Amino acid sequence: MSTYSQIIRDGLWHNNVVFGQLLALCPLLAVTSTATNGLGMGLASTAVLVGSNLLVSMTRSLISPKVRIPIFVLLIATLVSLVDMTMNAWLHDLHKMLGLFIPLIVTNCAILGRAEAFASRQPVLPSIVDGLMMGIGFTLALVLLGATREILGSGTLFANASLLLGSGFTGLELVLFEDYQGIVLMLLPPGGFLALGFLIVAKRLLDRRFEQRPTNTQANQITVTDLDESSPGGETA
Amino acid sequence: MKLFGLRGGVHPEALKHHTERQEIQRMPMPRRLYIPLQQHIGAPAKAEVEVGEKVEKGQLLARSQGMISAPIHAPGSGTIVEIEEHPAAHPSGLPVRTIVIETDVQERIFKNLTDAGDPFDLSTQQIADRVGQAGIVGMGGATFPSAVKLMPNPDNPIHTLIINGSECEPYLTCDDRLMQERPDDVLDGIRLIRHALQAKRAVLAIEDNKQAAFNAMQAAAARSDGVEVIQIPSRYPMGWEKQLVQIITGHELPQGQLPGGIGVCVHNVGTAFAIYRTLRIDEPLISRVVTVSGGAVRNPQNVLVPIGTRVEDLIKFCGGLTETPARLVMGGPMMGQVMPHQQVPIVKGSSGILALTEHEIDDGPERPCIRCGRCVIACPVGLMPLEMGARMRADDVTGTEALGVMDCIGCGCCSYVCPSKIPLVQYFNYAKGELQDRRNTKIKTSKTRQWAQNRTERLQREAEEKAILKAQRAAAKAEKLANKSLQSEPQSEPQPEDLQ
Amino acid sequence: MIRLNPQAGPHVRNPGKVPSLMAMVIIALLPATLFGIYLFGLPALNTVVLCLLSAAFFEALCVWLVKKRITLVLFDGSALLTGLLLALTLPPWAPWWIAVGGSGFAIIVGKHVYGGLGQNPFNPAMLARVALLLSFPLQMTSWVSPAPLFSASTPGFIDALAITFNSAMPLDGFSSATLLGQVKTDLGQGQTLSLIFEGQYNLLFHSLGYTAGSLGETSALLIAAGGIYLIWQGVINWQLPVSMLASVALLAGLFHIIDPELYASPLYHLSSGALMLGAFFILTDPVTSPTTLRGQILFGSGCGLLVFIIRTWGGYPEGVAFAVLLMNGMTPLIDHYLKPRQYGRNRRGQPLPMPAMTPPGEQS
Repeated sequence: MSTYSQIIRDGLWHNNVVFGQLLALCPLLAVTSTATNGLGMGLASTAVLVGSNLLVSMTRSLISPKVRIPIFVLLIATLVSLVDMTMNAWLHDLHKMLGLFIPLIVTNCAILGRAEAFASRQPVLPSIVDGLMMGIGFTLALVLLGATREILGSGTLFANASLLLGSGFTGLELVLFEDYQGIVLMLLPPGGFLALGFLIVAKRLLDRRFEQRPTNTQANQITVTDLDESSPGGETA
Repeated sequence: MKLFGLRGGVHPEALKHHTERQEIQRMPMPRRLYIPLQQHIGAPAKAEVEVGEKVEKGQLLARSQGMISAPIHAPGSGTIVEIEEHPAAHPSGLPVRTIVIETDVQERIFKNLTDAGDPFDLSTQQIADRVGQAGIVGMGGATFPSAVKLMPNPDNPIHTLIINGSECEPYLTCDDRLMQERPDDVLDGIRLIRHALQAKRAVLAIEDNKQAAFNAMQAAAARSDGVEVIQIPSRYPMGWEKQLVQIITGHELPQGQLPGGIGVCVHNVGTAFAIYRTLRIDEPLISRVVTVSGGAVRNPQNVLVPIGTRVEDLIKFCGGLTETPARLVMGGPMMGQVMPHQQVPIVKGSSGILALTEHEIDDGPERPCIRCGRCVIACPVGLMPLEMGARMRADDVTGTEALGVMDCIGCGCCSYVCPSKIPLVQYFNYAKGELQDRRNTKIKTSKTRQWAQNRTERLQREAEEKAILKAQRAAAKAEKLANKSLQSEPQSEPQPEDLQ
Repeated sequence: MIRLNPQAGPHVRNPGKVPSLMAMVIIALLPATLFGIYLFGLPALNTVVLCLLSAAFFEALCVWLVKKRITLVLFDGSALLTGLLLALTLPPWAPWWIAVGGSGFAIIVGKHVYGGLGQNPFNPAMLARVALLLSFPLQMTSWVSPAPLFSASTPGFIDALAITFNSAMPLDGFSSATLLGQVKTDLGQGQTLSLIFEGQYNLLFHSLGYTAGSLGETSALLIAAGGIYLIWQGVINWQLPVSMLASVALLAGLFHIIDPELYASPLYHLSSGALMLGAFFILTDPVTSPTTLRGQILFGSGCGLLVFIIRTWGGYPEGVAFAVLLMNGMTPLIDHYLKPRQYGRNRRGQPLPMPAMTPPGEQS
């Protein structure tokens, strides 16, 4: 149980692909000009991650360590092709927007990294969970960054979301500022780097705050037990 | 005369007006003299006197030890009261072995038995010996024993003697005054050095901010022959030996070479004067001219001070202090050392005592480096002080070495021009000390390794020799046995002796 | 970190401190600034004041965040200088958020993200200008015709506030193009230079600065005067500006000889205030330029080359900011390869050969 919660925490926060490992920056900066693009890219990557972790974990005892990398890449490439064709068939408009970056998921080092570092050494179920969590973490990062850049760059949020999620989600498409001039820089690659930099700063500041909090609560508990003499040893566990 | 170009350097405010027009005053003998045994570069001198002994002025107190060393003489007559540790004339104020003389009023002069005669009849060796015996060291502050520089390598004769009258440090005027007041004596000293070195040419170089000294020396030079007196531009660090050589001869000394390597020898004006006194009136180095200056001194002036006088007594002679000085410096303000207190003695290398006010030293806060590059342009060695400083801040001594910190001469030009007041020269002095330590450790370990290796080799060799000897012996024995058995009846094969 | 004796030598007053250097640069910029305010009226004054105040505010904020001594850092004047330089490169009637946002970008992203004064690889003012130009192309190219103070056309106090704070766009009669922009557009339409310049280009008028353009960049002569004052005071080296101006002039001259109808004369290039401001005030930012004199000459020539290329063949009519930023990126490389030669060593660091001995007799 604790291992799964560990995997979840790692994937979503501590070892987040973007904010923890600083991997996959190329697709990250290329597609996050809007939150919707980020979401689409993130979901596609998540699908590939789960699939590749599953396949790698299943075949881990069959693969000779000497040729493992080419085989991992082959497996990932197959999955990416599947996702690419699927999106082209059912999410054609979004596919046109993300364009080149879907096939490039193959070279997304986060996916190969998970295959190498996790799935090739772990049983199937934890591998799937890991792939899912890493994928969700990546997706969250992409959406966050995309949203930041979209809000600052064009004053909207989740523009074109209906293309990805269907016409039912038109309500998600927000225009935050009417008549907004837009900071064009935020939609350009330098803006991506800037936003990413500041988000990483924010994450580290939060981490620092989390580190301080447990010690505080602990200290509080100790004082409480010290004061409360009526329940001796009650809190020692 | 054609002067050659130089690069780098700075033009600090000269601030010589405090003292350049005051005559040199003779300081009366203080009650006590504190004479450290180490006043020069090289091995400390060895005390030749005992506590309680009466000494006369000019009598030998301590003998020189080895080639690079200098003896020390009594600056005044009196009684040895102590040979103990006393604070050295050094920023640390760490104790150094010091002879303390309680002076008397008699001023008995120790009479040497040697007849002076005409020093121009003496040979190079004789002059060098007498200069060495008089304890004369480089008076500009380097305090390198002068006798060593008077005996050139016979394969590489000196053709040019340069006398350093640049006195490029601000405030200091002791050489300036000496040249103004005693031009003939200084000139005689120069001619004696030239005679000793058998140099074809002797050049006295004076910075162009000392017009009076230049005029006096030129007039003196006109009265005799063989010494050119020239003016050089005022610029710090003009007194750096290698720059003087370059501006006068046009030769840039290759790294690691001394001026002697290209047939040039550099001495200081004060040294020339001391050599004159020794060879003409037979007086060892027992006093020197010291510039006492700075905004906190009541009567700034040059003073002829007996070696061993405490700074305290000297400042009292100059009217005392008008305010508590922010800093007490021995030497010039650019390269001088901060003294921890006034209880340190004047030594042979003390060219000045500066009691500086807060306003004069201008201690601002240190700010971040703005990479203005002023230090790069100012560095006379061609280093990049800001890069070295940045590495020292990261404690990267090795990186600093790669940028050439060992070539740094510590002139302080970089710190002087720095608009952020970064103590660059202190960083580099620290780095040089650290690197020297590492080098020494390396030499030590490599020596130890060499010894260990030699020992292993020797043991191995001995073992091999022993083995060979043993084998030979065994062979001989076997032969003998064989012969024996041949003589008697043939038996089984003789077993070869186990060698291992 | 090593510990040092606090009484660090040399024990003399040194010639100039960082705050006084910064103050002198600001003084040298005053003629161009005051002329810009005169030429473009109260909205320009608003822009300058806003840039200065917000630069100081963001500097104080960053210094407070990293818990350094605010007074020591703030009063060194570097932030004010950045703010002023930025203001001079902005359109004179820029809205308030351009000035404040630009200053914030310059101070936070351009300077303190790297660790504060002395650590930034790129000139903060130019970085902010480029960021603004990319982000707000419309506002950053809305030039106005000169509307001098005390003249009938100058906006009054209330109008000035409206222009700055309410983003009231300049009236049609006021909007204008800069000369560089106009020439670029016309050239693009296939006209020849002699046709373009006919009647509307007067070198003297142009270099005096009575023309549309950035707040403080219209008068090349006033900027150059400030720059020469700085060289005379020893605040900047002549190598940087001279090498940049010379390389622009040489290239322009060369191409002008080849085809005078397509390539403008060197004087046309030199009379642009942006080039002068770049050469005397931006290039000479000590933090982001090389530290050796040879490196500075290379740096300046590189900037000149890039300016000429961008102006002539690039997409923007003016390229000083881009040129400076690109060369800023080269500074560490230049500093690494163009070190001064150490005394007694050759350029590779090996000791020099022994000089041939010439005894003094034969020498003279």
